[in-house]
Amino acid sequence: MENFDAIVVGAGPAGCAAAYTMAKAGLNVLVLERGKYAGAKNTWGGALFGSAMNEVFPEFWKEAPVERSVSRHAISFLTKDACLSVDYKDSHSDGSSTPGFIILRAKFDQWMAGKVEKAGAIIAAGLEVDDFIREGKAIRGVKVGGEEFPANVVILADGVNSLLAVKAGLRGEFKAKDLKQGVKEVLRLPREVIEDRFNLRGTDGAVMEFVGHCTLGLPGGGFIYTNLDSLSVGVVVQLSALLEKRVKASELLEEFKAHPAVQSLIRGGELLEYSAHLIPVSGISMMPKLFADGIMITGDAAAMVLGTGLILEGANFAVAAGVAAGNAAIRAREKNDYSSAALQSYEQALKDTFVLKDLNTFREAPHFLENERIYNAYPQWACDLMSRIFCSNGKPRKNTFQVVRESMKGRFNIMQLFSDFMRARRAM
Amino acid sequence: MEIIVCIKPVLDPDMPPAKFSVDSKTNRVIPPEGMPLVINPYDALAVEAALKIKEAKGGKITAVTLAGSFATEILRKAVAMGADEAININDPAFEDSDTFSTAFILAEVVKKIGKYDLVLCGRQAADWDNGVVGSVIAEYLNIPSVIRAKGIVVTNGKLRVERVVANGFEIYEMGLPAVVTLSSEMGQARIPTGWGIINAVKKKIPVWTCSDLGLDPVRVGKTAARNSLVKLYTFSPSRSCEMITGKDDKEAAGKLAEKIMDIKP
Repeated sequence: MENFDAIVVGAGPAGCAAAYTMAKAGLNVLVLERGKYAGAKNTWGGALFGSAMNEVFPEFWKEAPVERSVSRHAISFLTKDACLSVDYKDSHSDGSSTPGFIILRAKFDQWMAGKVEKAGAIIAAGLEVDDFIREGKAIRGVKVGGEEFPANVVILADGVNSLLAVKAGLRGEFKAKDLKQGVKEVLRLPREVIEDRFNLRGTDGAVMEFVGHCTLGLPGGGFIYTNLDSLSVGVVVQLSALLEKRVKASELLEEFKAHPAVQSLIRGGELLEYSAHLIPVSGISMMPKLFADGIMITGDAAAMVLGTGLILEGANFAVAAGVAAGNAAIRAREKNDYSSAALQSYEQALKDTFVLKDLNTFREAPHFLENERIYNAYPQWACDLMSRIFCSNGKPRKNTFQVVRESMKGRFNIMQLFSDFMRARRAM
Repeated sequence: MEIIVCIKPVLDPDMPPAKFSVDSKTNRVIPPEGMPLVINPYDALAVEAALKIKEAKGGKITAVTLAGSFATEILRKAVAMGADEAININDPAFEDSDTFSTAFILAEVVKKIGKYDLVLCGRQAADWDNGVVGSVIAEYLNIPSVIRAKGIVVTNGKLRVERVVANGFEIYEMGLPAVVTLSSEMGQARIPTGWGIINAVKKKIPVWTCSDLGLDPVRVGKTAARNSLVKLYTFSPSRSCEMITGKDDKEAAGKLAEKIMDIKP
């Protein structure tokens, strides 16, 4: 039976980046994907902030199926009726910064998988790995049903619900408080309608994020991303809060879509897809052991997602970590040593890149973001303040600072404000 | 037994209906983005039937497709299931071939392969549902054919085929070579094994073009098509609901009866 240098489980961004790195270095690589094809099994907002992707596939956007480049990024606070937005636009015309890209993963992952195959790796889809081949404590390959696939090293890139990570003893099951549930619809709208409605030119795209009433005050938010001729519309909510309040994320999505500020953006959209997925959001505190004898873990399976409240970034981390795991496997092959001690170079590499640095910088963010005032009291207050400033009721107007003071009265005390401010400073 | 199986890619039957759309200007189906085509389910049964015969009698299975896009993917699927060889029949000249020119080209492919005992096809493709190609290949090759088979057995160099009819099945016996098309009553096609998929990915798949087959381009593709598509559109059912009221049930029923009688056939 053929013995592979490396087996990668999962053909998402982490798995493809690892497999591509190893195949290019001449390793004999097998990628096992559970879905019918790469990209068949994921849910994705989204925008890809592709610095790591750009290193693996330079100027990938010129070749890969990207929908639009992000030129507009808006964050809105919602109450039941009102919406207060910060709307940032950047045409990136001077070329000094790389914009993010809005992509549809079903298409994008197939493109990446094609690159991986061209580099010489084998991608076998429709195969679900259910166990490992073991030699003492070391992992020496994987099992699919009754079949065995031996390999020197296994790289797990099988996503948030990685049962294999648990089986390999790298971590326990993720807990509800460490997960957010995302539900998303893709709505078809003509290209011109999207460009008019979102004020976009050509293939410019918009990322719209919403906080407040869209999750009925639960920790999380809503989003709209403009694809080329469809919109991705969804909500992401803390799983433990959903369980506690007995609310379904799908109901929150309906609530979100019905909000006047959202409704006017999505009206007329024809439903193409509905999907749901979990996101690991507690960062470094939930991160598993990253390697053991003959195995490494990467991407969502290893909780490599950065959520700061303003940013929710996973794919870029997955790609960087995939490359690091691939490089560790290459070094292990040079020394013909796949032990835990040899694979330690993987974690060291992550510490040297933005992956563990960012997750470390923002390690307080997940805890800070559990504060329900962010989703309730503050959006309410901000919209109420706007209403007091802009509304005319026939009475003499008051000094603006007086209006601000009055709007805060009875909502929160100065101690709470101060403590939230300090926590925000630490977290962000 | 030398068996040739003709396969075709079709839209994934698991695809959400909302993703299906047509361009009525060009009379073409718009390929849904991000959704790979899959092997026609009836053709997968033809591969399965071939594998069962090979398991019983030994031999070699060659899968061929005249696909255009996704040819490699579905040929790999056949190899992953257990087919020994695969040939991709591909040439711009073959575009817009109708069922007759498709059958003509496939018959030429069979002739070029040369050695064959059996040609198997699906009963029809799950996209256009014509169900013509198998029989016409047999006409071009001048050999017997049975369509809509649910079982094939080869004994003493003879073929025994169970053919599905409206209220049961008929049994045919014939000599070889022959063409048989397989129906869903046959059962299920096997799921490829992991190593089967890996072997299929490594398989070199040759491409045969129009000139490889020695065919005059005028005899294939659009120029040779005997039928043409007049109009392709998606049917959009519309319905409206009207509540019929009256001072009592009798009056309401009377109004309903009038309404029904007013509907022109």
